[in-house]
This record gives sequence, structure tokens and C-alpha cells, in this order.
Amino acid sequence: MKGEELIRYLNQRPVNLKEAKEKGLKIIGYFPGNYVPEEMILASGAIPICLIEGGNSHPANRALSLVPHIICPFARAQLGERLLKTNPYYSLLDLVITPITCQHLKKVAEVWEYQEEIKLFKLGIPHQYDGDFELEYYIEQLKVLKDRLETFTGNKITDNKLREAIEIYNRMRMLFRKISLTRQAQSPPIRFSDFVKWNHISFYADPTFMVETLESILKEIEKSQTPDQFNQPRLLLTGPNLAQGDHRILELIEAAGGKVVIEEFCEGLRDYWNSIDHHGDPLHSLARGYLRDKIPCAFMRSSTRRRTEFILKLISDFNVSGVIWYELLCCETYDQESYFLNKKLSEQNIPMLILESNYDVSEAGPLKNRIDAFIELIQGGSDHA
Amino acid sequence: MLELLSLCGYELKEIELELPRVKKAFTRLGITDQDISLAKQRLKTYYEIELRGIQKLFGLFVKELVNILLAKEEGKQKIIYGCMAPNFEVIGSALRSKSKDVFALVPNPAFMVVLGCIFDKFVPILEAAEQRWVKSGLVSHCAMVKTRVGLFDLNLVPRPDLLITSGSLCETSPKTNDLIGVLYNIPTCYYDTVQDRELWEYPDSSRAIQLSVKGMRRMVQRIQEEVGFEITDEMLREVIHVKNQFATAVGKVHQLIRTSDPVPICAKHENLITWLNPMSLDIDHLQKATHAVNTLYQELKERVDRGIGVVEKGSPRIFVILPHHHTDPRLEHLVKEVGLAPVATDMEFSATSGLSASDAEPPNDPYEVMSQYLQSCLLLPLGGRISVILEACKRLRVNGVLNHYHVGCRSVAGDAFIIERVIIKELKIPVLSFEWENFDPRVYQYEDFKIKLESFKSMIKPK
Repeated sequence: MKGEELIRYLNQRPVNLKEAKEKGLKIIGYFPGNYVPEEMILASGAIPICLIEGGNSHPANRALSLVPHIICPFARAQLGERLLKTNPYYSLLDLVITPITCQHLKKVAEVWEYQEEIKLFKLGIPHQYDGDFELEYYIEQLKVLKDRLETFTGNKITDNKLREAIEIYNRMRMLFRKISLTRQAQSPPIRFSDFVKWNHISFYADPTFMVETLESILKEIEKSQTPDQFNQPRLLLTGPNLAQGDHRILELIEAAGGKVVIEEFCEGLRDYWNSIDHHGDPLHSLARGYLRDKIPCAFMRSSTRRRTEFILKLISDFNVSGVIWYELLCCETYDQESYFLNKKLSEQNIPMLILESNYDVSEAGPLKNRIDAFIELIQGGSDHA
Repeated sequence: MLELLSLCGYELKEIELELPRVKKAFTRLGITDQDISLAKQRLKTYYEIELRGIQKLFGLFVKELVNILLAKEEGKQKIIYGCMAPNFEVIGSALRSKSKDVFALVPNPAFMVVLGCIFDKFVPILEAAEQRWVKSGLVSHCAMVKTRVGLFDLNLVPRPDLLITSGSLCETSPKTNDLIGVLYNIPTCYYDTVQDRELWEYPDSSRAIQLSVKGMRRMVQRIQEEVGFEITDEMLREVIHVKNQFATAVGKVHQLIRTSDPVPICAKHENLITWLNPMSLDIDHLQKATHAVNTLYQELKERVDRGIGVVEKGSPRIFVILPHHHTDPRLEHLVKEVGLAPVATDMEFSATSGLSASDAEPPNDPYEVMSQYLQSCLLLPLGGRISVILEACKRLRVNGVLNHYHVGCRSVAGDAFIIERVIIKELKIPVLSFEWENFDPRVYQYEDFKIKLESFKSMIKPK
């Protein structure tokens, strides 16, 4: 299976990165949230690495020496990975682009900046994503980023290079979309935990390699035959972040007999659902594509209604019978939004389970109990229907 | 009731005139005779209520609360509601001064001082909010936004025609308005900046300020559509001029406290001064606010001249990070009881308040003037905040720092540990850091705070 190859690739990737770095290539990290155009990093000749490590309490707790517990575990994990110096994806970085999205990741950027921990570039993200002067501001900041990348790598970012990068990433997004859409079938041909892992690997992988692998995976899926799975409740999994390594939630859902047919997270659908327009000025296309066209995160202004409508459409398109909302502790904007979504879903008799995680090991038991009970509830509901 | 109003600075004639309105408003709040007795007792226990300036300050909050509660039934046609919206109050004051039909309000300060500090009846507002979408628990939603939700839920504020906030400091305030907007079907409007200032830019904030100016102009345009008349630059300049007089008066009080030994007043009163600023009082009441602060200054000056203070002479001088509690005077009261002398908070300083070099001419554009709030200590990025705090501590020659970080605010609380480290390393003075909630009185734990404060005091070397 090509999927297994991807796992092997991930294990080998740090060695490849180290070799590339020794040859003089720059490795540039950036935070997830879908506001840093990785196309620009690729076009500069550097290697983009999205910093999406999480799920492990050790790095998150290590960061408690720098920031209090109210900074979310994902943001703390980013600080902790640099403190621990054991994760090659974090140790090999030459520069980090920190989009100023939520207060949690902003704080990570400020701590690194103050401690001169690593070279970084703060990318201002206007939170009124549909405003005119906000778009102009974002374009201006992308221009500053372009200059910075050119100086840093010594390579000119030409329009052609940018278009090529947009094309590669668009191709990757399109493939993820196509693979994801196969899960609209009554019996999805792939396990959702596999899909999430492929998606996560794509944030570390060379995009050309990733595109080739996804093409092969898609071909395999199209050829495969899947046994009927009528009794597993079809679920939508959503929330702020689902980090690389934060796979416990996936395992618990699978073990309970649930079947996630679509996930809506920063490190997933929000990135691949929309393509970037490759006509016209590529920097403007990137700005519109990243700031306006993508599904906004919950911290964006007036995002609640748009996000809720989008999730309701996913529920309908993927024939979902229940929603699991998985949020990280202290993520205040998503926590507020969960109330509204729950209310809207109640009106349509769609059950929703809200779970919180601080990446603690001790959460496993209570999480398991709640997921088991939720899936039983949905199954019971189906039997009685 | 009469004694309470008198303690709150109401003149006899005013009481005669205002009593029916106050009664009506207090009835809506569920204030009983027992509450009034308790309130009088609290004022006498925790506040230096014999000072005329303090009485007048309390009076301004009570009057504003009454205005808010009765706005609709007294015929206000347009209600514009701002919260966590720095300098919206300038626009609000201009609106209220121009039109009797328009009521611009920033309700939290009035509710916090009157229901919280005076009546100790603030918790039900927070609990109401927690039953809705800003739940209690480890998620630690800010009690400032809880207050907004609670006031809506309990129907204590008039239904607005437009709801305004800013995301200059956090995303939770705009998100709260977003939810209020979709749940109650109320139009919302935001003005923002982008928090991407890099440390090498400090103290320059021109990028952030320019974006804020554009956002404010768009917000004012939206308000104009709602109220049906123009808000001219001249109207804003007039309010800014009056507010500058208020700021000058406040500055004199601050300077007196900073340079006195013993300090002439307990820090809990500072809340009454700072919380006046974000309220959108009309020009007449802004002038009354200035008068109240000037009266207080005269009274404190007299104390200082006579060597009277609220702690012993030579008590440790401490710098406080983040403002004093907004709904509960007990912690600051305890600070005084323990014998510590807070002389300033970081809220009083900014990147341009003379602590850092700034040769720039004051701006002429009122929107640019209003956007200078982005230079205040609280809104600076970590590196900027640290610079301002270190310089202030050095200049004021404080003996220790009380670093009580507001758990509901990721932005400011997130800085707390680094700030502590830097102060200890650079200034070699003790820092007491602890988590609390600036707006939630349930955070108060007498024994816990007392032990912390006493230990802190014992760590301060006599100078």
C-alpha cells in the first residue's frame, strides 16, 4: 500500500532534511491555521515544514516554565519542542514564519522573539478577512515576507516560480479533496485515521513526492472494493486543531465503532478544500485564496455563521449522523462557537459531543467513556428510527 | 437609600430630583433594603468614603448605571453598545453630547463598580453567562466577556441597535459579539488592528496605528448610518480635549501617589479613576469626572502635606502589573493591611509616556490620536511591555513587583512568567506572581492571598 510507504517516508524525512540542510538548503517552519502560503517558501527554494506536532503532554508541560496553563496545549507544545530539542522538525529550522492568528500562537512567537530563540517573521493576519484595506494589508505583508525570504535564501521568487508552486499545492489539495470525497460512499474505502495521517505527513513532505504518492493512493482506492459497513455511525470530527501525534482521539473513535467520514480542522480540510486561483498576479491570488476563500478559523470576525453553515453542508453532503467537537483546553473562541453549533444541530436532531483535551494521559479513560456512550446513543437512535 | 446616595456624592437637591429614577433602577436590579445596608457598610469598610472626591467618583458610576437601566423607557431611540472597545467612548461621548435620542453606552464599568464594589452582587451576572456559552471551568473565559453575556441574558442592558468591539487585544471579545449577534439578531461592528509588531520596531507602532485609524473610520461610518447624522472630526476633538483635562487630573493623582511616603490612599480607589475613562459620558459629565478627580487630588495633597498615609512611612513600595480588581476591593484592602504600598500599575505607562524616547509631534487627526492607545503597556508585544515595565520600576525605585495576571486574558497572562524572570534578573527585586481574575470576585481567597502577601513582604529587603 502506498499509505504504508508514506509512513516509511515520514520516518526517513528528518534524515533527508538534515542532508538537504548540509547542502545549504534552508528549512523554514510555519504555524498551521492556513494563513501562511507555503507556496512562497517553496518558490524561494527553501523547504517548508508546517509545525503541527502535538498530542503529547511532555512538550506541552515543559513549556509551563515559560507560559501559564491558559495557553493552549498545542501552542505550549510548540514551545516545548524547541526546549526539549528532541524533535528534528523543530531543531533543524532556520527560520519560522509565525502568522498572528490567535493569542496562543501569538504568544509563542513573542516568547521566541524575546528570547531570540530562533529567527522569525511575524506575518500579520487581519481578522476582518472580508475587508478591503485588510486584504491590502495582507498583500503588503506577503510582499515583505517575499523580500525576507529572498534575502534569507538568496533566491529570487519570480512570478513563474510562484505559479509553479501554486500548481503543485493545488494539485495536492485537489487530490486530498478527491480522496476525501470517496468517503461520501456508504462504505468509505479508506480508514479515516489513515487519511488524517496522510494529511499530516503532507505538512512535512516534499510536495512533489506527496502529489505523486497521493495520485497512486487515489488509483488504489478507485480500484479497491470495500465491504459494506452499514452499522457504523457516520461522524464528523471538528474543532480547532488536530495535531500530528494527537491521534488518540482517532483511535478511541475507531475502537468504539465510530466512523469519521469527514474532519474539519486547520491541519486538514480547511487547507485542502479550496484551491488557489493561478491566474493573474500570483501574490494577489495567494492573498485572496488564503485570507478570503478558505473557511475562516473561529477567531476571525463574523466567522460563526459562515463556519456553521459550512459544517451543516458537510453534514448533509457526507450523510453524517453525529458530530464530535474536539477542542483543546483554553481555546476560548472555539469553545464559544461550540455552543452555537450545538444549538443549530439540536434544532436538526443531530447529536453533538464536545470533548476537551489538554494532551494529558489521564484523559484517556474519561474520553473513551464519553465517546463509547455517544456512539451507543447514535446507534440506539438508528435502531429505533 | 438617602444615606447611600449621599455617600455616593449626591447633593440634597440631586437626591430629590433623582430618587425616583434611582429607585426604579435599583428595583430592576433587585436591590433590597438589606443590600443597601450592606452597601453602606462596604463603602465605609473598604473605601475612604469620607473623601469628597471618592464620593463624587462613586456617584458618577451610580448615575451612569441608572441612565443605562432606564435608557429605553426614557425614550432613547438609538442604542450603540461598545465593550472592550478602546476609544469607542470618545465617539460615544460625542454622540451623547450631540443628540438626546442616541445613547452610546459602555456598561461594564458601571455595573462592575456599583453591583460589584458597592453591593457585592456581581456574581449572578457571571453565573448567568456561564449558563450560556461562556462556561466556567478550566477554559477560563474572561469575566469581562462573561459580564457582557450575563447582562444580555438578564436583560439588564437595553437591546442595542449596534454592537461594537475591537480585537486589538484579544479575539474573545469579538467572538462574544459574534455570538450575541447571531443569537439575538443584533448587528455587529468591529474595528481592529494587527498584532504583528516586531520587537525591532519598538517603540514605533505606526503600522498598527494606521490600520487602527482605517478601522475606526469605518466603524464611525457604520455608526453614522445607524444614528443618521455625521460625527465630525470637530466633535471628536472637543471630546478629546475634555478627556485630556481628565487625563491631566488623573496624572496629578498618580504622580502624588508615586512620590509620597507614606502613600495617601489605598490602591483599590484607583479602580474608580481608571474605570471612568472607558465610559462614554457626555461632555458635561466628563467635566464632572475631572472635577471629582481634582477634588480628590486636593484632599490627598492635604494628607501628604500633613504626613498622613494609609500605611506606615517607609512601607515597601511595590509596582503592580495589571490593574487592581474591578469588582472587589478586598485584595487591595489586604495589600494595605499587610503593609505594602502600591505606587503604580503598568496600566499607567505606555511606550510614549516619557519612559521611552519619542520625539514625535502629537497627531492632529482625531483618529490617530485615539489610536495611540496601541502604545499603552497592555497592548504592546511582550518585548515592548517588558521595556516599559522595567523602566517604570527603575524610575519609581520600587522594592518589589506584584504580578497578578488575569487568567481570562491569554494576551497579558501569557507574558507573566517571562516578565517575572526578567524583573528578578535585571532589577534583583522580588516578584509575587499569581493567577487571578480581574473581574470575578470569586477569585478572592483571604488566607491564600494573606500568606502570599506576607511572604512577599518578608522577601523585600529594607532600603
